[in-house]
Amino acid sequence: MADSGVIADNAVDDSRRKFLLSATVATGAVGVAFTAVPFIASWTPSERARALGAPVDFDLSKLEPGQMATVIWQRQPIYIVRRTPEMVASLAGHDSRLKDPKSEDSDQPPYATNQMRSRVADYLVLIGVCTHLGCLPKQRFDRGNPELGADWPGGFACPCHGSRFDLAGRVFEGSPASVNLKVPPYALADARKLIVGVNDVKGAA
Amino acid sequence: MVRSHLRGAAALGLALVLATGLLAPALGSAAEGESSGFGADWESWRADTSVTDLASLQRGARDFMAYCNGCHSLKYMRYSRLGQDLEIAPDLLQKYLVPTNAKAADYIHAPMPAADATAWFGKPPPDLSLMARARGTDYLYQFLTTFYQDPSRPTGTNNLRLNATAMPDVLSELEGVKGAVFKNVQIAGADGAQVTEKVFDHFEPLAPGRMTREQYEGFVRDIVNFLDYVSEPAQAHRRSLGVWVVLFLLVFTWLAWLLKNEYWKDVH
Amino acid sequence: MAAVVKPPGEPTAKPGGLRAWLYKRLPIEEFLETQLTGYFAPKNFNVWYFFGFIAIVVLVIQLVTGIYLTMFYKPGEATSFDSVEFIMREVNSGWLIRYLHSTGASAFFIVVYLHMFRALLYGSYKAPRELLWVFGMLVYLALMAEAFMGYVLPWGNMSYWAAQVIVNVFGVIPGIGPGLVEWIRGDYGIADSTLNRFFALHVAAVPLGLLLLVVLHLVALRRTGSSNPDGIEIKEKLGADGKPLDGIPFHPYYTVKDTFGISVFLVLFAIVVFFVPTLNGLFLEHANFLPADPLSTPEPITPSWYFTPYYAMLRAIPNQRLGALVLVFGVMSYMFLPWLDRSPVKSMRYRGWLSKAFLTLFVISFLGLMYLGLQLPTRTAQIMARILTVPYLAYFWLMPFYTRWERCKPVPERVRFHAHG
Repeated sequence: MADSGVIADNAVDDSRRKFLLSATVATGAVGVAFTAVPFIASWTPSERARALGAPVDFDLSKLEPGQMATVIWQRQPIYIVRRTPEMVASLAGHDSRLKDPKSEDSDQPPYATNQMRSRVADYLVLIGVCTHLGCLPKQRFDRGNPELGADWPGGFACPCHGSRFDLAGRVFEGSPASVNLKVPPYALADARKLIVGVNDVKGAA
Repeated sequence: MVRSHLRGAAALGLALVLATGLLAPALGSAAEGESSGFGADWESWRADTSVTDLASLQRGARDFMAYCNGCHSLKYMRYSRLGQDLEIAPDLLQKYLVPTNAKAADYIHAPMPAADATAWFGKPPPDLSLMARARGTDYLYQFLTTFYQDPSRPTGTNNLRLNATAMPDVLSELEGVKGAVFKNVQIAGADGAQVTEKVFDHFEPLAPGRMTREQYEGFVRDIVNFLDYVSEPAQAHRRSLGVWVVLFLLVFTWLAWLLKNEYWKDVH
Repeated sequence: MAAVVKPPGEPTAKPGGLRAWLYKRLPIEEFLETQLTGYFAPKNFNVWYFFGFIAIVVLVIQLVTGIYLTMFYKPGEATSFDSVEFIMREVNSGWLIRYLHSTGASAFFIVVYLHMFRALLYGSYKAPRELLWVFGMLVYLALMAEAFMGYVLPWGNMSYWAAQVIVNVFGVIPGIGPGLVEWIRGDYGIADSTLNRFFALHVAAVPLGLLLLVVLHLVALRRTGSSNPDGIEIKEKLGADGKPLDGIPFHPYYTVKDTFGISVFLVLFAIVVFFVPTLNGLFLEHANFLPADPLSTPEPITPSWYFTPYYAMLRAIPNQRLGALVLVFGVMSYMFLPWLDRSPVKSMRYRGWLSKAFLTLFVISFLGLMYLGLQLPTRTAQIMARILTVPYLAYFWLMPFYTRWERCKPVPERVRFHAHG
């Protein structure tokens, strides 16, 4: 090809050519990877999302025994239930009807890995999102509720696909959901104040 | 004959040197204003701030909350972001900067209702989140250091940087009070005729404040520095990241140059 | 062309198999051969020939960063300005995406102006490349529309007033003017409706148009082949193998050279993005850090630097209609270059001194008008702008005459080329 503009006969330089090409391509690939970082990072929760997801305070003195309140934390409904002694007693005796009575497969902080699934017996804090496909379970605290059966100990029933949970959020056999309702991190600042979103009081803003 | 001329010239020279020496405090830096007038060079006053000076930013934050936040909001800024960037511990942040009815994650608002502000000042005090980018730090520095007594204004004061400003001289207790001396100057008007205009000549200190001139200038610098940071909190990070990016790209350019030359050996 | 034939006995490696499968179903191999390894470009490209490829890269940068900005920006009188500050402060790395986009806009114009200037230097718009030039000019017009509308979106004070002034220019059209202005705005003044429709056009419609025009531009280039600094057609001198004697395969020679060119560009681009993103008010104007205020016009009121040559001309003419006409002339004159230019020679290297003089004066007036357009309209500035408009327009409209009168130098048979390192 002596008559075109190119004379390619550098067999000797082929290794140098290959080396430079690999070095350039490798460096370029590293550059592309680093360039992707800010774009991927931009999708992570913004400062606004994180601020709106800050821990939420709740005044416990507003709750009557047997009553439930709902607050929003990190865009999820949080059920806060003030359990009566009868409701706490109802938690025993139906382990055989539960899928995960010891909460071994379920998601909760260490202080809620017990029968009550809470720090103290009086107050239950749950993320009110059904662990099946995400609907809001409805409260069915009364025992022997007609639509749920005479042996219903009280708890939650999800309207979408029929999952059932007891008064500690533990899922019953026969439910489409496979794990217990999640417990969020929370702390008790004192007898009146519950903080949802942190594991200890110092972590709150 | 020559000698007497020389002696005369020497005497004149000495007199000039002495006179300049005497005048130096007046003509010299604005820092020493106590003795006589100053500020003829106000348009060349520079903010000289640095957003990497953390101590200055912390003082500026504290002073802004104390003296400015009563009227001026920083509505794009969160207290918690301040705490993070300025390395202020959460408890100190809560104690000194966050008002009692606000949370650390809240945006920094001003307590003055906009409607009242408009009634009192004619226009609501502007939000200052971006003022340093809109006007520049030198402008802000000059604005805060060129207030002077002016009985013709509703606030009783005026400002050289922003004539007829609606803002009163809120920092006079710190800076002191000063008057402005104007001179009548003949300049050529638009149609060629000579027009007399009042031109600023210098400031006259009228009453001292709690700070010396130097202290006050440092105080203003800290606030302006703080506003510079607020206008773009990411700027320090931007510059430091930029060093690495440019270095990397220079390395890549060098490799690309070698590669190009290697291939272009073929071409004749 | 037959599918890739593997030598007998060699194991079928997975990639080879996939490649063969794809090649059979898409014209990839033909494309690679005709567009890259088999496409011959003149070997004597100089620095002026980098800017086409760089422009494509900047287009990609704008598209990617623009899409990401659209994820966080909220168009609307009440929300636009705040959402831009949200991006700058609260979206992780949002400030970087914003600066890449704002710097990219100015970079686009710097690159495109240099790219266009190459054509003026080497007669790249002359036959058979007239359509290539026209498509390029349409890209330029689309780019100006895109940049103008993009600038309104942050809804800063300069955004508002730039929209106000430029949309009002349409009002000078006789008869339909005022109605047209109201129709563009969708309201009695620049308003929410204007902002929202500019958003739709800027994000979706004009980018699609730009992409189409860029593709047409490249297809036209492929057809005629590229020009070169000597202005001779390399296809006229073919070797025994049928390839142009003065041509080299685009791949690997120009892929490798363009890689170097783009990395130099990226160094400069990064320096601006990370150290001087506002470029002291040139790339991001000071007034735009204040929200739109219908009661307060910024001083000086200027469009972005890339429009100011035309803005200076518009402003310098004391008559509104005439000023608008001169502005249109200033922008559209480029379109007619292939037919205004009567020179027998393409490249400035071989033209006479008249062409060189007019081009030089044109460059001076373009840059001068650009500078004046950024200043306050003082009497001196206005007079200077009026003076400079003359050589600017004369470059185009006297071209049929001076390109025929002047004596050109003889054009060489083969390109001038010095071997590289």
